[in-house]
Amino acid sequence: MMLASFPTMAALEVGKHFYWQLGNLEVHGQVLIVSWIVIGVLVVASAIASRNLQTVPGGFQNFMEYALEFIQGIAKDQIGVKHYREWVPFVGSLFLFIFVSNWLGALVPWKLVKLPEGELAAPTSDVNTTIALALLVSLAYFYAGFKERGLGYFSKYVQGSPFLLPLWVIEDFTKPLSLSFRLFGNILADELVVGVFVLLVPLVVPLPVMILGLFTSAIQALIFSTLAASYIGEAMEGHGEEEHSDHHG
Amino acid sequence: MMDEILGLSSTRWVLLAAEAEGKGGLFDVDATLPIMAIQFLILVAILNELFFKPLMKVIDEREQAVRSGISEAKDRLSKAKSMAENYEKQLAQTRRDIQELIASVQAEANRIRNQQIADALSEAQVHVQNAKAEIEQQKQEASTALDQQVTSLSRQILVKILGDLAQVS
Repeated sequence: MMLASFPTMAALEVGKHFYWQLGNLEVHGQVLIVSWIVIGVLVVASAIASRNLQTVPGGFQNFMEYALEFIQGIAKDQIGVKHYREWVPFVGSLFLFIFVSNWLGALVPWKLVKLPEGELAAPTSDVNTTIALALLVSLAYFYAGFKERGLGYFSKYVQGSPFLLPLWVIEDFTKPLSLSFRLFGNILADELVVGVFVLLVPLVVPLPVMILGLFTSAIQALIFSTLAASYIGEAMEGHGEEEHSDHHG
Repeated sequence: MMDEILGLSSTRWVLLAAEAEGKGGLFDVDATLPIMAIQFLILVAILNELFFKPLMKVIDEREQAVRSGISEAKDRLSKAKSMAENYEKQLAQTRRDIQELIASVQAEANRIRNQQIADALSEAQVHVQNAKAEIEQQKQEASTALDQQVTSLSRQILVKILGDLAQVS
């Protein structure tokens, strides 16, 4: 095929994975490698930021404090002033992990690294990562609701008309599904679009698309963490305390 | 498989080359998922210790410091205001006192001046009276002296005339 003769920089591979064998389990090596890099970046950045904390922040500490306050803002807006503090680490880690994953995936020329199969890319462009994160969010909001309101949390399923019960149950499935596929789809689509543009016009032209990609990446991280915080907040808020108001959702 | 539904597999396209020979494909969920979940939880734990806790603590401390600084500054401001007010009041009081003092001193001075003028006037009158009396006295003396001289002169004249008369006769 003619397109196959393009240099490897411009080739596109989708759905190929660099498999590692763990016992009788298979894992996607390329996803794990990049996720380790992402985790490393985050850990090193936090270590540098908190190594020499000062009351009057300067330089990098300032930057990280800005990031932290941004994250706190997300958690506070969605969860409420009363409970947001304990959820800041979870929501914040979600945001940072997804954001750094997306940006590293978009900014680092991973194609220069040759793997036997598949290629390095943002971990969030692999469905395993996004489903893992989405399931953690589900667990988190169940935990939050249960911890805050005990068995009363489940009263929302049986409240009101029994007709609504299946809808409530379905919602618990659609939440992680939409979370994971939104992130996965956006990041993968972005990588594909950039890849296609690079394939067609290797110079300059892909740049706007890449910048747009960076923008979407940031937005997706924001959306994921905001929705996660909002689910957690919703679970804790409880419908029992506001029976007069309608069931929303 | 899901990717077959989406028409992604078995097309050896460069754009969407989803290799589907038994394994692979876009929606290949395997052990990566639980590993990623555990990894992420570990990341949350690490970031909590390394990033969120210390930075939130620092931010809280700073907020506290700023808040206490503001309240301290407010205290100081109110203190300064009350001091300024106090000072104003004292100033006004002092001004009033001084005006009173000036008024009383002026009155005193006026009194003393009038007194002295009156004294001087009366003294002058005394002097004038004395002088007048002396003049009168001297006039008196002079007139008596004159009278005496007139008497002696007239006696001499008389003697002379009478002497001459005697000689003649």
